[in-house]
Amino acid sequence: MKLPQAQVAVLEAASADEQRTIDRIAEAADLKPETATRAAFELDDAGLLEVTERTTSDVELTEEAERYVEAGLPELRLYEAAVEAGADEEPVQMGQVIGASGLEGDAVDIALSNYARKGYGEIDSGELTADPEADPDADDEATALDALAEGAGAYARETALEDLDNRGLIEQTETVIRSVTLTDDGVTELMAGIETAETVGQVTSEMLTSGEWQDVEFAEYNVEADAERVVPGRKHALREMAERVTDVLVGMGFQEMQGPHVDADFWINDCLFMPQDHPARNHWDRFALDTPEAIDELPADLVDAVESAHREGVGPDGEGYHSPWDLDFAKALALRGHTTSLTARHLSGEAMGDLEPPQRFFSIEKAYRNDTLDATHLLEFFQIEGWVMAEDLSVRDLMGTFTEFYEQFGITDIEFKPHYNPYTEPSFELFGRHPETGEMIEIGNSGIFRPEMLEPLGVDCDVMAWGLALERLFMLATGAEDIRDVHGTLVDLEFLREEEVTY
Amino acid sequence: MPTVEIDPDELRYLTGYDEKDDAELKDDLFGLGLEFEGETDDGDFELEFAPDRLDRLSVEGVARSLRYQYGDDRGVYVPSTNDAEWTIRVEDVPEDRPYVTGAIVRGLDMDDAALESLIQVQEKLHATMGRQRAKGAIGVHDLTMLKGETLKQDDDSAKSITYTGVDADDETMVPLEGDQELTLREVLEVHHIGQDYADLVADYESMPAIYDEIGLFSFPPVVNGRRTEVTADSRDLFIEMTGTDQWTVDKMLNIVCYALDARGGKVEEVDVEYTDDAPVTPDAGSDLVRPDLVSKTKTVAHGDIETMLGVDLDEHDVVDLIERAGMDAEPTETDDGTAAYRVEVPPYRVDVLHPVDLIDDVGRAYGFNELEPRYPDVSTVGGRHERSRLEDAVRDRLVGQGFEDLLNFHLIDEEQNYERLNVPQPEPSSGERANGDNREQGSDALGGGEAVTIEQPYSEDFTMVRSWALPSIMMVLENNTHRAYPQDLAEVGFSAHVDESENTNVAERRTVAAALCHAGASYEDAKAALRALVDAFDKDLETPATEHPTFISGRTASVVVDGEEVGVIGEVHPEVIVEHDIELPVAAFEFDLAALQ
Repeated sequence: MKLPQAQVAVLEAASADEQRTIDRIAEAADLKPETATRAAFELDDAGLLEVTERTTSDVELTEEAERYVEAGLPELRLYEAAVEAGADEEPVQMGQVIGASGLEGDAVDIALSNYARKGYGEIDSGELTADPEADPDADDEATALDALAEGAGAYARETALEDLDNRGLIEQTETVIRSVTLTDDGVTELMAGIETAETVGQVTSEMLTSGEWQDVEFAEYNVEADAERVVPGRKHALREMAERVTDVLVGMGFQEMQGPHVDADFWINDCLFMPQDHPARNHWDRFALDTPEAIDELPADLVDAVESAHREGVGPDGEGYHSPWDLDFAKALALRGHTTSLTARHLSGEAMGDLEPPQRFFSIEKAYRNDTLDATHLLEFFQIEGWVMAEDLSVRDLMGTFTEFYEQFGITDIEFKPHYNPYTEPSFELFGRHPETGEMIEIGNSGIFRPEMLEPLGVDCDVMAWGLALERLFMLATGAEDIRDVHGTLVDLEFLREEEVTY
Repeated sequence: MPTVEIDPDELRYLTGYDEKDDAELKDDLFGLGLEFEGETDDGDFELEFAPDRLDRLSVEGVARSLRYQYGDDRGVYVPSTNDAEWTIRVEDVPEDRPYVTGAIVRGLDMDDAALESLIQVQEKLHATMGRQRAKGAIGVHDLTMLKGETLKQDDDSAKSITYTGVDADDETMVPLEGDQELTLREVLEVHHIGQDYADLVADYESMPAIYDEIGLFSFPPVVNGRRTEVTADSRDLFIEMTGTDQWTVDKMLNIVCYALDARGGKVEEVDVEYTDDAPVTPDAGSDLVRPDLVSKTKTVAHGDIETMLGVDLDEHDVVDLIERAGMDAEPTETDDGTAAYRVEVPPYRVDVLHPVDLIDDVGRAYGFNELEPRYPDVSTVGGRHERSRLEDAVRDRLVGQGFEDLLNFHLIDEEQNYERLNVPQPEPSSGERANGDNREQGSDALGGGEAVTIEQPYSEDFTMVRSWALPSIMMVLENNTHRAYPQDLAEVGFSAHVDESENTNVAERRTVAAALCHAGASYEDAKAALRALVDAFDKDLETPATEHPTFISGRTASVVVDGEEVGVIGEVHPEVIVEHDIELPVAAFEFDLAALQ
């Protein structure tokens, strides 16, 4: 029969008459103990060898215990000093006894706590008495400690060992000792002669090309052992979410928009029929730029049309805002507060020429808000923006589109709460059921663009639009609680490494 | 979103539904779009409102809307008014605040709740339509404390007050919540309300002031005088409003008049006489009678209502829905003969700018959530923008090469962007530039472009748009020194700098940045990564030696792709590494994404 080398060596080192320990076998066979153990068990499985086990316990002194073997247990030293000071007759100041005992630091506390426990005397109100009946020479713990130090631990009392263990003076370990004997089958096979099969670790190039692999036995690995942790490259968790949303929208027929982050207020607000004195356009909420200050050129015809819509409204029964309108303000630059500026640029034809209905467009791009940073709000966030341009769109089309979109993310039972936006009418806040918690939560803002917005842009059909923050969708989908851990320079790499992938 | 505080007992009283419990009321309010946010210490409801229906800024207005919702009221209601006894004469007013309006309300049985509601509607109107009093400011006075100047000697029932402009040092008054006579300048300087609103009149050539025969009693838009202060005992009120726009103050006045009418007050008209001395008003020399409680009419096509709601309605339904929205509708035809409605809109509505707003009201009365969603039968072809596909392809390559992808803020501060990377901060090029003046904008080094800066940043950590991405990556390395290495990080992101050749004067750039940070990270590692990336896009890469202040001299090269210099690569200088408290070497590169196009 053919066996791996280690098994052959163990078999040869074993005896049929005598139990031999694995350590002894390993030494005789010139194997590592763990290799010999594994080989022994394999032979046991094959019925060639019998493995027997017994358990022995072993006691070792800790460093602290070693010190006490030298100097004596602290409570005994305290007792001796107490007796010396006459505490067996009347109470003595504790400080005096401690000073005389030579105990210092932790040893003082250890001495005091064990002193009373073991009946060497009383400690009360800073004074100490010593029991004249106590016999330090008969101290079980001291005796056991000395016995262990001399290697005669087997004779120590079980209770004393327990006390020492509790005091952290000894470490008890249990060892399994395995021994082997040859079985009859083992003897028979040995008599018949056993050949050594070669085992290999790594599969080498040479082995493969030479054909040697056909004759070898592969060493077994511990396939359950842990492997080294590697940090693979991976896409940012929030980016994965953006990609997922992009996939959904492209699948629904939406085309992607891009455009400037720094833009004129004209594109960001005026084209959206936001009055110039709207509270959101005051200097605190706008992310106005210091340098540079203004755009060079705006399309003149469009500026006229937009200004007229603001001042006079559109249509025979339209009326405008009773608000000032100033070209310089329209030209002032800001970081866009919403990506609807891209929508304005696309609808006007500025971005890619005039668009004929039907169209669907989206973007997942950054918008900026001049505010303070907290766990759920950032100064810059990704806005998902989408719109549909077609003839005769209705509120039902809007509802159908958003119901479809949110269902892709497990958000159902969409409710449409009538709302107000300066540039849409009707407008709706969108609420949906959280896939995990079942709560109704706000998931976006939507509406049909007003004629005062569309007419100046030259659009003569309907456009419905909606927006929401990607971060909000991310937090809903992943349960992340502090968005600052995810997006931005304060990111925790560990979070990114461990975050479940989105697909 | 703004909130309004409503006492539920007042609401029960004013709607006539004493038996409604709080939960029912909350549901009814939600139906109006007024969301319950919480309760105040006094047990009032705090309701969030969208700033279109400003007529719902008072408990009286909310009660009116609820009665329409319950179907108890239908159609337009306009309070009747008595003829004017009082006149507001407008003379020599500051050009920055030329408009005024006014009304008298008599016979009020005020109590603390009514007074509280009156104060709230003033505050909320100031905050919304009034644009913090800049556009419209309200003054309410106890009429019995006013002594009108007699206009005609033989008719002492015709009285007037005067809105005019005065010098800040010439006149004195005792302001509300004050106890001494102050000049208007002193009011602005020492009185707490005066200080709050001093900015509003800082540039006025004269101070707005309203007089009766006794003297100055109101200093709009800053503070009223103490003499005419309204208390819970006041029965007759004089309301004046000044502002920068007649329509705005008139509409604010209408909302207040409707609220006081609901309290049992009788509205009395006031003549507003713009004298020849009034400045640039279109109404100069003309008389107005206020409040202007006249409905306006708009025409909305039946087909537009059906199209926008996506349902078929008959004429009777539409008229019913419009009446339930507190308006009146009369079927008519448009010029081209299609069915339409002439809709009468009450004078307290400030949000109806276009017939589309009427369709919204019809939808709300119908119940938008009653509509069945349908997926639009519109076919379009979806697709990604080319640049976003490129960004994504680069990101995929970098991730495949083992980089962890980052997504950093675009905003940063000057110290992080320049100084901590050893890059000299460019001088701002502010001010006019003569033609042909080609002063350098920032330095040539990557990242050294002139900063695009924020005017009024909330935080000193976010004052500019980053001019390159490497500083962000260094910050991430700095914040993660307790995390496992290697930290090989990359970002395909956004950067910007001032560039006067662009229409927006800003060059917006997509940038590819990567840093290797681990024991033994070297130039060679960075170059290997860069080479793999550039090769994947079938471009030609050269790296001629260069100098860049962020990198170690002699271990820095330009990134030249297809013959064009597009970035920099090198081993980051120990000074920069130590500055970021990093204890391992960093090799990095950054270049323009467009190079891989």
